[in-house]
Amino acid sequence: MAKRTVIPFGPQHPVLPEPIHLDLVIEDETVVEAIPSIGFIHRGLEKLVEKNEWPEMVYVIERVCGICSFGHGWGYCKSVEGNLGLSVPPRAEYLRTIWHELGRIHSHLLWLGLLADSFGFESLFMHSWRLRETVLDLFEETTGGRVIFSVCKVGGVRKDVTDEQLAEISGVLKGMIPELTELTNVFLEDMSVKNRLEGVGTLSADEIKELCAVGPVARASGIASDVRLDGHGAYPELGFEPCVEEAGDCMARCKVRVREIFQSIGLIAKAAEQMPGGDIDVKVKGNPEGEFVGRMEQPRGEAYYYSKGNGSKFLERIRVRTPTNANIPALVKMLQGCDLADVPVMVLTIDPCISCTER
Amino acid sequence: MYPVVPREWKERTRGHIAIDMDACILCGICGKKCPTDAITVDRGAKTWSIGRMQCIQCSCCVDVCPKKCLVNEATYTTPAVYKIVDTYEKPEEQGAAANEGSLKCDDTCVFCGICAKKCPQGAIEVDRAEKKWEVDDDKCTRCGLCIEGCPKKSLKIE
Repeated sequence: MAKRTVIPFGPQHPVLPEPIHLDLVIEDETVVEAIPSIGFIHRGLEKLVEKNEWPEMVYVIERVCGICSFGHGWGYCKSVEGNLGLSVPPRAEYLRTIWHELGRIHSHLLWLGLLADSFGFESLFMHSWRLRETVLDLFEETTGGRVIFSVCKVGGVRKDVTDEQLAEISGVLKGMIPELTELTNVFLEDMSVKNRLEGVGTLSADEIKELCAVGPVARASGIASDVRLDGHGAYPELGFEPCVEEAGDCMARCKVRVREIFQSIGLIAKAAEQMPGGDIDVKVKGNPEGEFVGRMEQPRGEAYYYSKGNGSKFLERIRVRTPTNANIPALVKMLQGCDLADVPVMVLTIDPCISCTER
Repeated sequence: MYPVVPREWKERTRGHIAIDMDACILCGICGKKCPTDAITVDRGAKTWSIGRMQCIQCSCCVDVCPKKCLVNEATYTTPAVYKIVDTYEKPEEQGAAANEGSLKCDDTCVFCGICAKKCPQGAIEVDRAEKKWEVDDDKCTRCGLCIEGCPKKSLKIE
């Protein structure tokens, strides 16, 4: 038997955008076991409910993550709206859906860039992030922010989007398709990329079920789990169907995200076309009392938002469980028995967002 | 390309909070609602200050300002290596304007208590059983939120 060695991976590592630490137990070049540890960037955002009134708390919750910030704001609002028994006007739901899907496109493009960076394909990384800028410009024009939007509020949204802006969003995204196709074809067809991704970090559907993985990680192994099927926002009217792949390896996870980018463009175009008129918010009366749980499909998977009110302006407790938290066990499982050189790619394919996880 | 071509700001870009001190009545609602405690209002010294590094440009203060004297301008503040706090002073000649007159309630009042609930300073006390309405002139900032909220239009500043 080869001698066992422990190699520390992270919290600072060229491939990691955020700090996670893995103790990799290796025999020769093979990883036998991976022991994860987090806790480097805990900010205590949930505790701030005691200091901020619930209508203002949405601006704090959005800052749980700098990539899927709109979804976090929406998830919190959904949970408080459930507590208050509010129903949001259809136009607000459509606008929320459009911004959330735009967020998914920019998150997946960011991830594609990071993935390219993890296997040393720098120019592909640059091109992915160049395309992402276009989406950020759309965000800036419609919400006023590039990554933190502050447009979602309890009872609706704060800003309306004009018909011209809606047409511009659809037009710009449609115009991106040829370039996106060219970019994503490199990920899906280039031999050097295939060599790094195919057959690496394979998880079967049974393993995914056992480890409770969520989002693209689960969908890449043939499990059609997606909270958007639950019928929130405008998704029921848009005819949403989750993107599912069967192989369960790193390439399948890449394929799911690539397909989701194009799917989101389609959903946004459809939502812009079907956009109903009317108000963008409802008047909120009273304070939340009782408990409520809202779930959202973030770009990384299912996120869970719990809020508990006591009838005052301050919530008693909120709790956010983010998708990366659910996907870490799957990562540990896929690392067992892999090659040491494949570790960065596997860590990246769960799309780790550690600031979300630690809040 | 940037930086040769200057960056064009979008109309909605949230860059930094600016204040019109002539219109500001130093009511302090912005400071109370700010999720990051970036705004400090000192009624004694007649100053309004904002911690630029603390501010998260959420525009919450802009929404709640009763006098609409706050605005989120499209340009960002200059980068710095220390924590900038910008302090604005109320012009001297207008110093007393904020506290001019006092809040009065006429006999159409039904003692519903909405004014007391709306008051950001907790300056109004309403006792429905005793049919008593009282205002603390020192606490009252004359922001006018109670006047807007009064269903019977019984309140005015004179």
